[in-house]
Amino acid sequence: MDRDDHDREPQPQPHGDEREFSEERESLWRIAFAPTIWAFHFIISYAAVSVYCFKFGALFDMNTLRFALIAMTALMLAAIAWIGWRAFLRWDVRDTGEFTNPEGSAEDRHQFLGHAGFLLAIVSFIGVVYDTLPLILLGSCR
Amino acid sequence: MTRDTRARRALPPGSSRLLLASPLLLAACEGRQSVLVDGGADARILTDLFVVMLVGAVVLWFGMNGLFYWATRRSPAPHSQRVANWLVVLGGILFPTVTLGALLVYGLTLMPELRATGDGPVIRVTGEQWWWRVEYEREDGSTVTTANEIRLPAGERSTFLLDSKKVIHSFWVPSLGGKMDMFPGRVTEMTLGPEKPGIYRGQCAEFCGESHAWMAFEAEVMEPDAFEAWLDAEAEPAAAPATPEAGRGAALFLTQGCGACHTVRGTPAMGRVGPDLTHVGARHSLAAGRLGTGVEDFARWVANPGAWKPGAEMPAYDHLSDAQIGAIAAYLEGLE
Repeated sequence: MDRDDHDREPQPQPHGDEREFSEERESLWRIAFAPTIWAFHFIISYAAVSVYCFKFGALFDMNTLRFALIAMTALMLAAIAWIGWRAFLRWDVRDTGEFTNPEGSAEDRHQFLGHAGFLLAIVSFIGVVYDTLPLILLGSCR
Repeated sequence: MTRDTRARRALPPGSSRLLLASPLLLAACEGRQSVLVDGGADARILTDLFVVMLVGAVVLWFGMNGLFYWATRRSPAPHSQRVANWLVVLGGILFPTVTLGALLVYGLTLMPELRATGDGPVIRVTGEQWWWRVEYEREDGSTVTTANEIRLPAGERSTFLLDSKKVIHSFWVPSLGGKMDMFPGRVTEMTLGPEKPGIYRGQCAEFCGESHAWMAFEAEVMEPDAFEAWLDAEAEPAAAPATPEAGRGAALFLTQGCGACHTVRGTPAMGRVGPDLTHVGARHSLAAGRLGTGVEDFARWVANPGAWKPGAEMPAYDHLSDAQIGAIAAYLEGLE
């Protein structure tokens, strides 16, 4: 047993996911997944409706586009929910009871990133729902 | 010191004056340019929206300050982690999400009616510095050009095609509905459905240069029959001068080169730089809401437009004698 192993806190045997997330360099960008989906949802929705209204309004019915975008929304919401759930598990607040993870150990950082990812997933979920409301409530290009 | 006197002393100086002034301030909600006057369906919807937002804001203000009062005065001891967590989840996430979501849904449901397709006249309005070129597109394909005044039939939804010559302006008749920006080189479209006949006031709502504040117009909502009769009359060429003085004014108008910039249909004056003056005497205002349309108003304007509208392109005709300016004014005032 070398010195490093001796100093490390006792931890549950890390499985693949945890090992990856204990490395900040690799795991930091993961918390951006849900906001990225939100950003793409916003850009795709608005661009598609703008281009449709400007160029293709006469070619096909707007409801086709609406339902396609609403289907895309459902998939993206499911993806965000899944990402949020995974982040919630990583946060592990139900077992540890720790909200803020202030210690700074590898496992603490891992849980903190889970916490941040979970909150970002909530914000992204709400953002995507808000983005979609005009699509549901406004049925025309006007 | 009694509680009563303390309360009275707590009032800052000037409060009573403010209280006395409040009926006057509220009276400002009336008038031709008030968003709270409902000249049509659009304005009514926007007033409802305003009231909902105002009431909501007042409730939130009292709620937040009540909470603040409770947390700092009534129950200043530290709260448990559990209470604090629930406060964050309910007050910080759930409440704003639901409230903003409800407001978004409410706002979006208003939009289809505000953006309904027009079934009335089509009016092209071009923002100039600092006046409004107004062209009515008639069903037979002809155009009736006027300026600085818009007339609309009550009960019909008029379509506005908004354009601008040089800078961004914004077209707004607060008592009839929302505003829409006017961009050089890009036509924007809006519709308004006025219902109550009357004279309302429009105003440029986007800073467009030194006389931006003087860029206004009258919007008269008329009964449909009266509107059609007015538009027919507006399409006619100008009336011949009725008096010898007006006749002299008409001649001066041409010799002084006014026709290079202004059109008076039925005469050699065919300029397109400034407002069409064919029926200027019948309008409610001169120079985009700046002056009235009495003879003296025309005389003041012709003598020195820059005094009334800084930066106006029209030069001063102060080299003319008072009699000459009076003649031109009499001619213009007679163009009904």
